[in-house]
Amino acid sequence: MSPLIATLWLVNVTLDTCGQLAFKAAASDAGDGAARWRHMASRPWLWLGLSAYALHLASWIAFLSLVDLSKGMLLASINMVAIMLGGRFLFRETFTPLRVAGILLVSAGVAIVGAAG
Amino acid sequence: MSTTARTWRFYLSGFALLLVFDTLVQVSFKLTGTHAFPPEASWAWVWRIVGHPWIYIALIGYVGNFFTWMSLLKHAPIGPAFAASHLDVVSVMLASAWLFHEALTPMRLLGAGVIMLGIVCLAFAESGEQAAHDAPAKAALDAMAND
Repeated sequence: MSPLIATLWLVNVTLDTCGQLAFKAAASDAGDGAARWRHMASRPWLWLGLSAYALHLASWIAFLSLVDLSKGMLLASINMVAIMLGGRFLFRETFTPLRVAGILLVSAGVAIVGAAG
Repeated sequence: MSTTARTWRFYLSGFALLLVFDTLVQVSFKLTGTHAFPPEASWAWVWRIVGHPWIYIALIGYVGNFFTWMSLLKHAPIGPAFAASHLDVVSVMLASAWLFHEALTPMRLLGAGVIMLGIVCLAFAESGEQAAHDAPAKAALDAMAND
């Protein structure tokens, strides 16, 4: 793997993880109904999440210009593990055996689909 | 209705809706790209894209996906929810086989099977007692801010 591909991969995992954790922070911190959306729009988390998402999209497109989509899927399956760890440390989400098994299986399944080409 | 049953219905309808939007987005992009073929760095290509109804359906799908995802995350833990959202890999695979006659190779079907097995685990994980042990995310955030 070339240094450029490795860097883009790392940037992609980081942006995806930051974006999803920011979305979770935005969504957990609000009330109900229309007031919930107004509250989210007035706080930085949602905008941080959307910015990370836009940058993630750009890094993903750059990444896919260098590797095939199937290989990209294979490499990006690690994002699920990164986001699982982020949820554990930031939001104190419990690591039950079924949850960890479920996340690792979905991650492995996406990697297999990617490896299938 | 018990809290567990209500949470279940919330997750089930939320993820079903998310799956529909995700699949719609990918299929619409494929139809848009095919319609605008061949891709070229010219306004002609951009005009072919915006002149096709499927690109607008893709955009509606994107917006729907965003609102559904933010609603789900109100209660859903991010780690398991993000993994579960990958059921779209399976639905897009089936939709491509049906609409675009893409091959369902044994390896792809194996991957799809492993993804579904993982999602069954996640469903059982949330239906059990464990889910109740999560500290509410807001409380965890507040605690962090006060540390």
